[in-house]
Amino acid sequence: MLLCIHVPGFAVAVTRTREVWNAMLDALDALSPLVDDLVEGTTYLDMRGIDGAPGDWVRRAHGVLAEFGLPLRVGIAANKFVARAAANVRDGCICEPGGERALVAPLPLDLLGLDPPTLERLHLFGVRTLGELAGLPHGPFVRRFGRAASLWHAHACGVDPEPVFPRARELQIDASLYGEGTAERAEQVYFALRLLVERVCRDLSRAGKAAALLQVTLECENGDVRVLQVGLVRATSDPHAMLDVLRAKIEGASFGAPISGLHLRVARLEEGGTPAALFACGEPDPQAVAVALARLEAVLGASGSRARVVPARRVEARFVYDVFLPPASFAYDALAEPAAPSAVPQLRLLAVREIDVVLRGNAPSFVGSPPRVVIDCAGPWRIDEGWFDTPVARDEFDVLLEDGALYRIYRQGERWYVRGVYD
Amino acid sequence: MALAILSATARSEAFQALKASLDMRSAALVEVEAILPSGFAELDRALCGGLPRGGIAILEGDPSSGRMAIAARFLAQATARGLAAAVDDGRLYPPDLARAGVALERLLVIPAERPLEIARAADILLRSRVFGVVLLPQAPLRTALWSRLRDLAQKAAALLLVVGTQAESDLASFASARLHCTIERVSWTGAPGPFCELAGYEIGARVLKRRRAIPGTVVRVRALAKRGDAL
Repeated sequence: MLLCIHVPGFAVAVTRTREVWNAMLDALDALSPLVDDLVEGTTYLDMRGIDGAPGDWVRRAHGVLAEFGLPLRVGIAANKFVARAAANVRDGCICEPGGERALVAPLPLDLLGLDPPTLERLHLFGVRTLGELAGLPHGPFVRRFGRAASLWHAHACGVDPEPVFPRARELQIDASLYGEGTAERAEQVYFALRLLVERVCRDLSRAGKAAALLQVTLECENGDVRVLQVGLVRATSDPHAMLDVLRAKIEGASFGAPISGLHLRVARLEEGGTPAALFACGEPDPQAVAVALARLEAVLGASGSRARVVPARRVEARFVYDVFLPPASFAYDALAEPAAPSAVPQLRLLAVREIDVVLRGNAPSFVGSPPRVVIDCAGPWRIDEGWFDTPVARDEFDVLLEDGALYRIYRQGERWYVRGVYD
Repeated sequence: MALAILSATARSEAFQALKASLDMRSAALVEVEAILPSGFAELDRALCGGLPRGGIAILEGDPSSGRMAIAARFLAQATARGLAAAVDDGRLYPPDLARAGVALERLLVIPAERPLEIARAADILLRSRVFGVVLLPQAPLRTALWSRLRDLAQKAAALLLVVGTQAESDLASFASARLHCTIERVSWTGAPGPFCELAGYEIGARVLKRRRAIPGTVVRVRALAKRGDAL
């Protein structure tokens, strides 16, 4: 027997619906180990083998969920559709085995969740209740309404082949140390952290999982609580790699009082295991990259990034920086050669500053102060963009000066600026 | 079984010959792996194969001297086979690095401007032992710091590539290789005007220091541009 619990208007009545719904499902574990979480607001419990009569189950369900203070409708039947229909008929409705078709017969077609055009077509055929639908011959009805009509007809007959899908248990892996004295030196904290990491990694290995995000909570003696989120570039269950990253993160933190409690939790789990490659020994270790990134962030306050070229008109807008993630596959081609067959002039961006320029015709002839003679010049290249918010209109030039230096300069309005130098 | 029927002396000789052969092969392998070539035959010849991994190499020259064009080439070589890192003092221009063949997704960029930050970044990057080349702007660091960075580069078998104007005496003494660059000839795509572009330049790279290389050897490297800035 299946027990259906329906909370009418759940999404409207509750804020942070997912959290509340998870809490309700957790509470329902007291009723049955097999709880189906298909839609927020409606759940099915497989009650086979559970002690008590159906009436007791209804009372228990109300008792378990009473703390949430939400209106409930409970129905019991042999399958999901009829159990849901029973809950729709009235709270506590119990459909005895064999009475499914009779129970759903007077109910409207809306229960099938049909789209309005189909519903209208059925109404035109004079079909308004599930009983009338069940009375239609199965073959011609399916031929006329398509493959999905087979299931509608089965539902109307009180049959639902869909089994209960028990929800997956959310795995929590954590470890903590409290009430065992205080840690005043960094070494003491690292020692405690090492214990926690070993415990967590043992649990991860047992579960075949790997940690992608860790959360460390440090409680100080003066009541301060510091929560650090530590991301791992690649999910791992290796204690050394995990400890290195955690150490690197904690190195940059300072605390006002001795630490009296430590809690380490895996905030994001991924499936564990690494495919072993035959020739992978020369590849960079992703965990070493993760440790380096964490240390850079701790020491410099900025993690590393990687550049990406984007199409743009202005020189300084032609690239952006993204978070550095080493390639998922480190299968480097040992024979790969760079694409460029020759060296390429490299522009070096300089801090934009105003410069003096003397023109001859429309081209620069002297640049800077003291003025340096322009030997050669290319340009102007007009850049005119951003007219809709911050207009930029400028003429860019490449100039070769008498001392051999190559500069990128530009004129904006009546003023001249230096943008970069070729190196 | 074949060894069992040999006399003890013959067995020892056969073992020694095998050992010598293996040593020779592994030495050749180490020699190849220990040097990062630029990919330019003439420059590599002048540098006895390229720049040595496990040490500091300095590219010296004026701000506009072609140092970065050569540095970009080494970064391209490094990112073709693994990861590289660049400490950016705000002057890095990634689109030109990409044109030079640098795989930007394998280049870690660390923003650091102050000397101590640059040193710390280099320290962490070298300690990680995953970056084949670490590009660094020259910074006024204490002798002890350069010494430590050199040791770290050696342990990590990484090339610490320093781009600067002129190496100070202590840095110059720690460096395994020094190159001085100048732009010798600049070429344009046409007559001055809006349809003219920088076509490229020729870099004169003079070897100042490199084991087994002839100091003072000048190599010319061409840097060719195809920028598409002109309208």
